[in-house]
Amino acid sequence: MKTTYTFLICFLFIYNTNSQEQYLTKNGVIKFFSSTPIEDIKAENNQVLSIIDTSTKKMAISILIKSFLFEKALMQEHFNENYLESDKFPKATFKGDILNFNKIGGLETKCDVKGIITIHGVSKEIVIPSIFTRIGNTIFVKGEFGLFLEDFSIKIPRLVVKKIAKEIKVTFELNHKPYKK
Amino acid sequence: MQLFVGLMVELLIIKIKTMNKKKIITIILGIGIISLFIAYQIYNKPHVNVLDVKSDIIITADKIIDDFSSDETKANRSYLDKIIKVSGTISELKLEKQKGIITLKTNHDFGSVLCHLSDQATQKINLLKVGQTIILKGICTGFLMDVILIKSEIVNKKNLNT
Repeated sequence: MKTTYTFLICFLFIYNTNSQEQYLTKNGVIKFFSSTPIEDIKAENNQVLSIIDTSTKKMAISILIKSFLFEKALMQEHFNENYLESDKFPKATFKGDILNFNKIGGLETKCDVKGIITIHGVSKEIVIPSIFTRIGNTIFVKGEFGLFLEDFSIKIPRLVVKKIAKEIKVTFELNHKPYKK
Repeated sequence: MQLFVGLMVELLIIKIKTMNKKKIITIILGIGIISLFIAYQIYNKPHVNVLDVKSDIIITADKIIDDFSSDETKANRSYLDKIIKVSGTISELKLEKQKGIITLKTNHDFGSVLCHLSDQATQKINLLKVGQTIILKGICTGFLMDVILIKSEIVNKKNLNT
């Protein structure tokens, strides 16, 4: 009896992962901008992992800090070594619920995603205003939001404090496709 | 500290007073130009060129994903930010926003090795085929579902046309 149950559970699990409920991208794009009168800084990450589960209406994003590329190598070095400490905290994550998920259709639909964002080892609740588009078997999500460096205990030395904005603008573009093994 | 700096400045002033004006100006200008030059060089430090740098680690796709999935913290310590040569079989080739991405097959169910190509290497992606074995050299940035290598270059040029 036990073995049948195990078999059944296994089967259900496999069935679940095979059905079209999970949508995923491994090469989403997240960019951030810091703009001050002295200097504009921007960086881009093209290796964003994002998963949407349509049955639970949840979304999970995971990124590697070292995947952010800057125009200047020196900025990238400071970003990794001094500000984000990417050796200690190699990842940033977001997990959240998609509110009003059922409204999403072929047209651009505004949806808030509410969840927990973790950067630099600090977690914070956040609501990210996003635009969802569901065409065929893809779910495209884009949006823009701001983050305050002090919320994530990211310390900027006084010498460069005027070059780095207190609020960092973040944009994202994630093109999810059905997940097949 | 302040006292020391003050003393130094005073000593300098005394020395300058004993020199003639022309000499002083050339010295100050010289120091100024040199420090500007150094500052500019540091500010514009170039990115690492993956092709020029000798790779720290040579490994198979199977081994690197094994290491990451068994102990990620340990693997992070040994692979993160390193230039790594990975050998494996191509399971997928794709272009995303004019950037080539090569997926290397592993014996794991979910994970693979994802190599994001440099602009140069992207131009050669048409010469590659799924199923072909290949060696790629790139910078390891970590492990999500897959091990990720960025700025990857194709190493074995010999096999490119076969």
